Amino acid sequence: MQTTGGNLDGFRILDLTSEPGFLAGKLLGELGADVIKIEAPGGDAARRRAPFVGGRDDAERSVLWLALNTSKRGITLDLDRARGREIFLALCEQADAVIESTGPSDPTSLAARGLGYETLRARNPRLVVCSISPFGQSGPYSAYRGSDLIAVATGGNMYPTGNPERAPVRCSLPVSYYHGGIEAAVGVAFALYGRELSGEGQFVDVSLQEVMLIPNMTSPTQFPLTGFKGGRVGGGFRGNKAFFRELWPCQDGYVSFALRGGPARIPGIIAFVKYMEECGMAPAALTDHDWTKYNHNLITQAEVDEIETALAVFFRSKTMRVLFEAACERNLMLAPAYTAREIAASRQLAAREFFVDLDHPELGTAIKFPGPFAKSNFTPIGIRRRAPRLGEHNAEIYGTLGLDVATLATERVI
Amino acid sequence: MAQLFAGLKVLEFGGGAAGPFGTRYFADHGATVVRVESRQRPDFIRLLRYMPGDPAGLDGSHMFAMVNVNKYGIALNMSHAKGPEIAGRLVQWADVVAENFAPKAMAKWGLDYESLRKLNPDLVMISTCLNGQTGPDRNYPGFGGQGSAISGFNHLTGWPDLEPLGPYGTITDSLSPRFVALLVAAALVHRKRTGQGQYIDLAQVEGGVVCLSENIVTYTATGEILERIGNRSRHAAPHGAFRCAAKGDDDDRWVAIAIHSDDDWQKFRRALDDPPWAADARLATVAGRLAHVDELEEKVTTWTRTRSAEDVMTRLQAAGVEAGVVANFEDLVNDPQLAHRRHFREVEHRVIGKHLAETNGLRFSRTREEIRMPAPCLGEHSEYVYRELLGMSSAEYDALKAAGVFE
Repeated sequence: MQTTGGNLDGFRILDLTSEPGFLAGKLLGELGADVIKIEAPGGDAARRRAPFVGGRDDAERSVLWLALNTSKRGITLDLDRARGREIFLALCEQADAVIESTGPSDPTSLAARGLGYETLRARNPRLVVCSISPFGQSGPYSAYRGSDLIAVATGGNMYPTGNPERAPVRCSLPVSYYHGGIEAAVGVAFALYGRELSGEGQFVDVSLQEVMLIPNMTSPTQFPLTGFKGGRVGGGFRGNKAFFRELWPCQDGYVSFALRGGPARIPGIIAFVKYMEECGMAPAALTDHDWTKYNHNLITQAEVDEIETALAVFFRSKTMRVLFEAACERNLMLAPAYTAREIAASRQLAAREFFVDLDHPELGTAIKFPGPFAKSNFTPIGIRRRAPRLGEHNAEIYGTLGLDVATLATERVI
Repeated sequence: MAQLFAGLKVLEFGGGAAGPFGTRYFADHGATVVRVESRQRPDFIRLLRYMPGDPAGLDGSHMFAMVNVNKYGIALNMSHAKGPEIAGRLVQWADVVAENFAPKAMAKWGLDYESLRKLNPDLVMISTCLNGQTGPDRNYPGFGGQGSAISGFNHLTGWPDLEPLGPYGTITDSLSPRFVALLVAAALVHRKRTGQGQYIDLAQVEGGVVCLSENIVTYTATGEILERIGNRSRHAAPHGAFRCAAKGDDDDRWVAIAIHSDDDWQKFRRALDDPPWAADARLATVAGRLAHVDELEEKVTTWTRTRSAEDVMTRLQAAGVEAGVVANFEDLVNDPQLAHRRHFREVEHRVIGKHLAETNGLRFSRTREEIRMPAPCLGEHSEYVYRELLGMSSAEYDALKAAGVFE
């Protein structure tokens, strides 16, 4: 196999996941593992999800597929056929880990196909098997179905997100799949570490509901102490005596800035007042306030309102870029709510050579991708290859098992 | 079987959640995690609800206690001439150093990776700050709220006609710990096999942008800027949170329902005993439901509004339809599925008393996570760590203490 020099170089991972688990295999691949995406012969459902590169509905052009399946090779295999299951078990003998995301009640789960953990373990006791499911493998909700919306709702991250006059709201992209995808990758890496010590693999059970708990930043655990059930406050936060605005319209978008206190933040507030003063836009309510002793739990709503009126006028007079450059130069805790356009143009990300142009010769184009999720001084992290075309590596991988792809195709196994 | 990371030694500098939640994975799985703090500049989450005159002082913060269970806490005054030298001895003890200060801090104390590597050649070290250790904006002093905005989550969260919001809880502060756990575990696997340590630079913004690859690639490959669309989906309807009957005096009860396929829709109709509005042929296909989504959402609400969120969830799930209570914090601590997974566990903190602590979203078949001890009060384990773990003599410990090094 190819040598990448990554931390997980030499580990082979079979990736049976659909969208909820795409990120897991991508991250493991970008750490150097040889990740093999296994799809049913018709291809993963994500391949049929718009938008498509060039606007054409085509299995090789889905943005969702291309974006989250980098650093994987790809094969097709029909697990509904006995021959397919037999080949899968042979692949498991040579693999270090399997990741999947069907859920225990799904009729297409590995267990439902007679390929549950005990069966795989019997063939390869060193194998790590990681399942991502809506609620976990056991327990009263384990048979329940759920996609991102359900995980974010039942995990408690939706109720406190939103505006008070409207319904609780989720992020428009599936954050539980991101939390769950990284969690699954953590589980695989932990279990591989454990295997180095014990020689044995294990089963890892990731719940999408449960991964959404820690993102609530301990608020649920505080409920028995405070009785606070959460609530929607729009773009802002609540101190002991006042509500603070945190998202402000500016000339061409929005910026995040709040009068949050604490020693780490006070210098930023003082620098911000100075910035407004230099622009001739700081009223006495700001310049006369003793910010060195500022505590957002002590200030009253009337004081906050007066200050925030001036802030609103100031932000409306500037663009996201001007404000962010000032923030970087003056150490202000102010950040623009960037869209993909500004992120792609970020000077910081450019200086770190974060974005990579990935050649997609079949599409006649190169596409700019987010690159490494971290940097390591000795072991490269980052995209190893573009997402696989449907069945792209069938010959290469089945060849190593001594199987002939033409025969497999005739048998309709791939 | 022993815990996965029994015997692993982790030294932690920094504060907040983005770093400390990351080392929790190792602490929960048996590692000895020592947090280095100082009274000179306390972790800001020790000050979140701090009021002058509070007898609990720096040890009364709920959030600090909940983030930092299972860790030892020591005080070390890095501004004291002896501070960095003692830190160096801690680094020699450690397998892993994790820090999440702004980039300048560790170098200022001579604790940058190149210096530490001389003390401990196979050290695994991870630094995580908002923008990373290099680049023109590396010193930008952001917290999670800023990370969420810069990496694109805020723009994508909320209603199209209102301001962007960002998911509750400053999402890069919860994504980053997961990346920390993954990166350190992968580095430890590599070290086990090769003996080589390494230095890892995790920029929280970059981690967030990688998660949102779909956002970026949609733009770079098609030119489209993705916008926030409330709870709706471009591919499914109904897909949202629907108001339910009040629970006691709480009239803020909601259920999330997601109907993806036409088959789901038929199951949904049956679960509702097929009301006349649902028989409308225009609603039989995804395209039709998306085209009439305003009307559809109103109809669904007329059904949910008279029922409890719990009943709607149970009834729809029994019919094979995706539904879930939009859980508030009280619902979560009473949730039977989370109870089954023992998500919340009680510990007793010296100042706060009994409280719940929580663990992460994964379980292993052969090794267990455990919550063994409460978070440390500031400097609580100084004597144990310096004397027992570092083997400092009592004479040296007392002298350094008297000199104010352990403040």
